[in-house]
Amino acid sequence: MTAVLEAHGVTLRYGAVVAVDDVSLSVEPGMLHGVIGPNGAGKSSFMDALSGRRKLTAGKVVLDGEDITKRSVAWRRRNGMARSFQKTSVFSAMKVRTQLEMVARRTGEEDLDSIIDALGLRDFLDKRCDEISYGDQRSVDIAMALVGRPHVVLLDEPGAGLAQEEAARMLDHIRTLCNERNVAAVLVEHDVDGVFRVCDKVTVLSLGRVLASAEPENVRSDQKVIEAYLGSQA
Amino acid sequence: MPAVIEEQNPSKTEAKDASVLDRPADLGLSRRRLLRGLIVAVVVLVVGLQVPTFVDDPYYMGVIADGTVLGILAISIGFLIRLSGLISLGHTAFYGGAAYALAIAMNQWDWGPMQAAVFGILGGTLLAVVIGSMAIRITGFGFLMLTLAFGQALYAASVLTSLRDVTGAFDGLGIDWPSDATFFGLEQSDVGASDTFWPLAWVAIVVVAVVLWIAGRSRFGVLLEAIRENEERARFSGYNTYLPRLAAFTLSGACASVAGVLFALKASYVSPNTLGFLTAGDSLIATLVGGFTTLAGPAIGALLYIYAQGEFAESGNLQLYTGLALVIAVVFLPGGISGFVVDLFQRVRGRLTGKGGKA
Repeated sequence: MTAVLEAHGVTLRYGAVVAVDDVSLSVEPGMLHGVIGPNGAGKSSFMDALSGRRKLTAGKVVLDGEDITKRSVAWRRRNGMARSFQKTSVFSAMKVRTQLEMVARRTGEEDLDSIIDALGLRDFLDKRCDEISYGDQRSVDIAMALVGRPHVVLLDEPGAGLAQEEAARMLDHIRTLCNERNVAAVLVEHDVDGVFRVCDKVTVLSLGRVLASAEPENVRSDQKVIEAYLGSQA
Repeated sequence: MPAVIEEQNPSKTEAKDASVLDRPADLGLSRRRLLRGLIVAVVVLVVGLQVPTFVDDPYYMGVIADGTVLGILAISIGFLIRLSGLISLGHTAFYGGAAYALAIAMNQWDWGPMQAAVFGILGGTLLAVVIGSMAIRITGFGFLMLTLAFGQALYAASVLTSLRDVTGAFDGLGIDWPSDATFFGLEQSDVGASDTFWPLAWVAIVVVAVVLWIAGRSRFGVLLEAIRENEERARFSGYNTYLPRLAAFTLSGACASVAGVLFALKASYVSPNTLGFLTAGDSLIATLVGGFTTLAGPAIGALLYIYAQGEFAESGNLQLYTGLALVIAVVFLPGGISGFVVDLFQRVRGRLTGKGGKA
């Protein structure tokens, strides 16, 4: 199957610090690809590199077979790549309805209702984002990433700031929505068990480099991963 | 509990209305609202044109006319602040630039006032495109300082001795109308008199206000607000954020140019002060005092500012009193006069409807 997203030797430096070092991965349509690793492993930097938020030092990013390394963030969004952020990123002073409509009209989404209902946002449509709870803002953030049926969505810690149970169920919702809408996802998350549960493939980063990349069960039993990251969690 | 972890329940499914996207435009200006706005504008226009009938005193008519011209400049600045969060100290470049363009066209090339006015507005607008293309790349304090720098650069250019033949340097330029020339049927002396000048100023401010209102309420305005709120999210929603901000800056600059042209026509004179920091300060003070959260706020501030300037000048302590008045306005009326009135209205309405006013 042709990959929807490919990263080839992605490298990102901040001055003398190499945040992401020669990382490659491939994501097929509808697949959830988890990226885990200790703090400072370069997970969010890798997401920034994939999404175009930061300019690559080396390597390339390919979307649907096209090299998009030099494409702008807005172009990527209009052509099938969306993302959410570790820190919730919404339009605080705007109604939930208005901001979802904005993205829907831009991306040609015709079935906004299914996302609204799946993420339980209907009751908040006419409230401003700064009037709803953090968890609901989180849902708006995820909804904005999923609107427009992107081919791949980059989700940076979608469970951040939520209670453990809430975060786990958020991952389940994402799995369901991605399946229903045939959207691939790259998922950075600290909830290792959650990632192993919902992802089809997992890449482990450590100090910016790939430590392992395989199916969840193989990663969980990988000795290098256990020693460097999982420890007793394995 | 966040909604995201709630299972869908039957009550929500039953409550589901028609598709969100089928609703009447939440994302922009509906025809009904546009029509209502235009009707209000026509009523305001007609009523406002009667002002000279009620104001006999030439001094107060002058205050109102000058305040209206400054009001056009102030609402153009307020539009940019409200929708883009950008505070400009460089709008005098377009205001003064347009005034100089008109004066140069009439003096150097013997153009009529109408052609020169169009030239002035187009010149000021072009200047807004050029300056905006650089200035809007940054926001906040950087934008403020950069616009100030552009404005001051133009001021410095206007007083260059080497350009005295064109700009009049520190002396400025008196504007000579060609014989028999008229501007919308008005001769030079009529344009210079506040009561006969009034219809020009009033029609101009109403038209500018309507244009800015439509721009602010349209999808363009919603996008500008989104960019102001969270530019990165706007880009990650598929929107180019540079062009809309440049368009807003240019539109605002074009409106400031209209004010500059009217000022030059009425005064029959332009001086470097029209490009200077003090004029930029005047317009910004008027905007802050009137309040930029509403479209009309800056215009109200401008009227009050011109009136107060006359009163303060008599005391001989113009700058001192201006500063004190600004401090009082900013500390006690953080939303400006219009913000205070809107807040009061919401509180009263909240009490009357029992829903509580906006805090």
